Amino acid sequence: MKILVAVKQVAALDEDFEIGSDGRDVDPDFLIRDLNEWDDFSLEEAVKIKEASGDPVEVIAVSVGPEEVDESLRKCLAKGADRALRVWDEAVRGSDPIAIARILAAVAKRETPDMLFAGVQSSDQSFASTGIATAGLLGWPHGAVVANLRYAPGAKTAVFRRELEGGLLHEVEIQVPAVLTIQAGINTPRYASLRSIKQAAAKPIEVLGLSDLAVDAATVGEAGSLSRVRRMYIPEKGRAQLIEGSPAEQAARLAAIIREFKGEAA
Amino acid sequence: MSRTDAVTRILFEAFSAAEVRLFYALGYAAIAVFFYGVYVQVRKYRRGAPLKLEGGLGRRVWSMFTSVFGGRTVDRRDPAAGGAHRLIFYGFLLLFAGTSTITLEYDILQPLFGIRFWYGRFYLIFSLVLDVAGVALIGGLLYMMYRRGWMRLPKLDYARPDRVPGDPDFNRPQYRREDWAFLWILLIIGFTGYVLEAARLVWLADRADVWDTRWWSPVGAALAHGMMAMGLGEHGAGLLRHGLWWFHGMIALILIALIPRTKVKHIFTAAASLLVRDPLAAQRLPRIPDTQEKPGVDKITDFTWKQLLNLDSCTKCGRCHEACPARAVGAPLSPRDVILSLREFANATLESTTLPAAAELSVHGKAPGQVAMETLWACRTCMACVEICPVAVEHVPIIVQMRRKLVEDGAMDPLLTKTLQTIHKTGNSFGESKRKRGSWTKPLPFKIKDARKEPVEVLWFVGDYASFDPRNQKVSQTFATLLHEAGVDFGILYDGESNAGNDVRRVGEEGLYEVLANANVAALASAKFKTIVTTDPHSYNTIRNEYPDFGGKYQIQHYTSFVKQLFESGKLKVTTPLKLRATFHDPCHLGRFNKGYEPPRDVLKLLGCELVEMGRNRSNSFCCGAGGGRIWIPDPVGSEKPAQNRIKEAAAIPGIEVYVVSCPKDLTMFEDALKTTGNEGKFVVKELIELIREAIPAAQTPEAC
Repeated sequence: MKILVAVKQVAALDEDFEIGSDGRDVDPDFLIRDLNEWDDFSLEEAVKIKEASGDPVEVIAVSVGPEEVDESLRKCLAKGADRALRVWDEAVRGSDPIAIARILAAVAKRETPDMLFAGVQSSDQSFASTGIATAGLLGWPHGAVVANLRYAPGAKTAVFRRELEGGLLHEVEIQVPAVLTIQAGINTPRYASLRSIKQAAAKPIEVLGLSDLAVDAATVGEAGSLSRVRRMYIPEKGRAQLIEGSPAEQAARLAAIIREFKGEAA
Repeated sequence: MSRTDAVTRILFEAFSAAEVRLFYALGYAAIAVFFYGVYVQVRKYRRGAPLKLEGGLGRRVWSMFTSVFGGRTVDRRDPAAGGAHRLIFYGFLLLFAGTSTITLEYDILQPLFGIRFWYGRFYLIFSLVLDVAGVALIGGLLYMMYRRGWMRLPKLDYARPDRVPGDPDFNRPQYRREDWAFLWILLIIGFTGYVLEAARLVWLADRADVWDTRWWSPVGAALAHGMMAMGLGEHGAGLLRHGLWWFHGMIALILIALIPRTKVKHIFTAAASLLVRDPLAAQRLPRIPDTQEKPGVDKITDFTWKQLLNLDSCTKCGRCHEACPARAVGAPLSPRDVILSLREFANATLESTTLPAAAELSVHGKAPGQVAMETLWACRTCMACVEICPVAVEHVPIIVQMRRKLVEDGAMDPLLTKTLQTIHKTGNSFGESKRKRGSWTKPLPFKIKDARKEPVEVLWFVGDYASFDPRNQKVSQTFATLLHEAGVDFGILYDGESNAGNDVRRVGEEGLYEVLANANVAALASAKFKTIVTTDPHSYNTIRNEYPDFGGKYQIQHYTSFVKQLFESGKLKVTTPLKLRATFHDPCHLGRFNKGYEPPRDVLKLLGCELVEMGRNRSNSFCCGAGGGRIWIPDPVGSEKPAQNRIKEAAAIPGIEVYVVSCPKDLTMFEDALKTTGNEGKFVVKELIELIREAIPAAQTPEAC
């Protein structure tokens, strides 16, 4: 029995950040890296299923990214993942979520898991599409924004609940193998102590290239993506002002401002 | 043989040979039971984890002897009990020594070497000494009985704050029975000793060697005269003596046989505990050995032999129970009960011939003998328990070792989990960017040197709270200005500094502590300075006592002693004496942990303040409740917080104007408690630094400060 958990190392902004020279992303010097919040929950859900199961279950964490991503994968190993995989090739840089999904689908074909979990979205880019796209590429059923899950490894189906607007709940039965995107709050992720993270450093992280997965380099990266970030910027801030005084004073001030905007002399 | 030579102790006179043989048989049996008990106890301790003691044996032995024979530790905060204990201790010791020397002569020296000394003047003086010792013993015992029976001391109430009435181990009446049995047994031995002595005198009144020297045993002689006045004759006295001899002897033998299995054992275990005492037990927590697979204590056998010995030293005196701030505000923790629970657990599991299966050895949980997670997390690691324990029980490392296991399992408050993750990510508990650590210096009209870039005399280790908390930033700016005005050549580490880790370590997150300590040691290594000064007692403690284990050995001072030197050398001068009625709160990590009691008081007096002490001061200072990581764990709603308890104590001082602290966390805790106890407006909470500023108004105070 296998559960594959797709995780991402996300970036958080430091104070006083700057946009990089190409204008398409924040200068990496100003980013703090950490495991995506949602992935903490999806990994915990997989580990909980493993711990509750009588049969052996293997939890495999997989991420697409350069070497620095190992730090997040080690956290996954510390929290109970049995193996970690990292896929990287310089050609992957600039991939959109669909291109990343192509790689994850190739990993799923290689590992043939019973379930593939992903977070609902990543906290830094919020596309919320990688997991769903992977299901599409694999031709597997998918459940999005899963807030509760009942699944025994080896079973042919799983039942999950999704929260809808107005306090409604959706209870869905799904064929396995399936892709589920896990909502934050589904469980309480465990704490990975620094010691367990250090000890996890002893567990190997398997690094795969595109050729290992038989993924054509032309189908990933900017070349293989159908969308492209044009620029990243901070919009100019609007100005707000509270006009005080009696109604007459307020009206006079407002009129003055309007005249100012129209370019008339005060 | 001269007449005085004939004067000696009457032993087996008028006993048949069979009786003497029976007595010896019983005596050997009692000693055998005693030694088997000792063996079982030693086997129990040896089932603990190994530990190598540091420090010279000579100093250990000396400190143990002065504590045991001086009774210093038993006197503290309860001099009457200390005095009574001293009477019992010396009374028992002399009487026991008396009996032992008789054995030495009668059973060893005389039969083997023909040596005798137990006669004549030596015997007479000894019998006088023993008579007085008996009075001391009985007097001490009677006071202890009065104390237990009539004084109703809360610290002697065994009801537990971490259990509810109805739980099997709620108030443990068996302890009460044991306490009383111990007192009664000693009292009966002492009392029958006198009656026996008197009966012997009456019985042998015809013999000059016995009767003429009777006043060398004044109590016995007086009793003998009383008995004779009541008409006791030689025959009756002989019978009484014979019967009492056996009764007295049997009770004494039973006591000896039971020593290893009852609280009487403290005469050995307490001395042993004092011998292996670590004077820095709470100040410098143990590292996790590389060979240890899982951190902390899960099973009872994960405790070191010394900790198992500690458990057996406890006499339930209740001093820690009384001192504990968590217990005082109704939290489910009494240091006494942690120790007693673990002792019950150790006795139940480790005294058996074969060690139970590992699954039965976990000390975590809610069953009798186990310690609940809520109990462990209630601890503030303020060291009040360790500091006051008369028998050197080291509660804090025991609790932290158990917390290490909880941290490994993630069994902690979600907010604490979040804080630890934050500290790992950003190096501070505020979740602020590392870059912003030095931001508080920006409003200052001068630039503070970056000690990593240029050499300084004094390196100021600022700490998290003083760097990021807005209220404390103002204090930091004031302190920087004072140093600047005093012409001190100082600098800080800016973003090179991380949380010092003192509280992270006391939470039990040792891995994160290692990361923080190593980062700071590396940052300090990159700086050039002569001495460190810190405004944060928590940082002060860990840098001073724990960084040496990580290769960081420095000269370090808390700012209070540094400022005192600045005053003494004339670099700072009071220009406006304050004339305030002030009380001073000793921060745990400055006072109890590092004995910095006097410098802040000296500075306060230099400022012209009138210092009025709170009842609980110096070593008995009452924790603000923030220690041991509790500042990151919310206190339960509705119950009193330690800081509120403390502020109420200060509010009871008539005419109090200012409550002085010298710790950033104290400032936060007590300003809050001042408001929540409704004392706002009645007096104020101030950092000593702020008072110094008031007493030395600056020529030009910077606008932003």
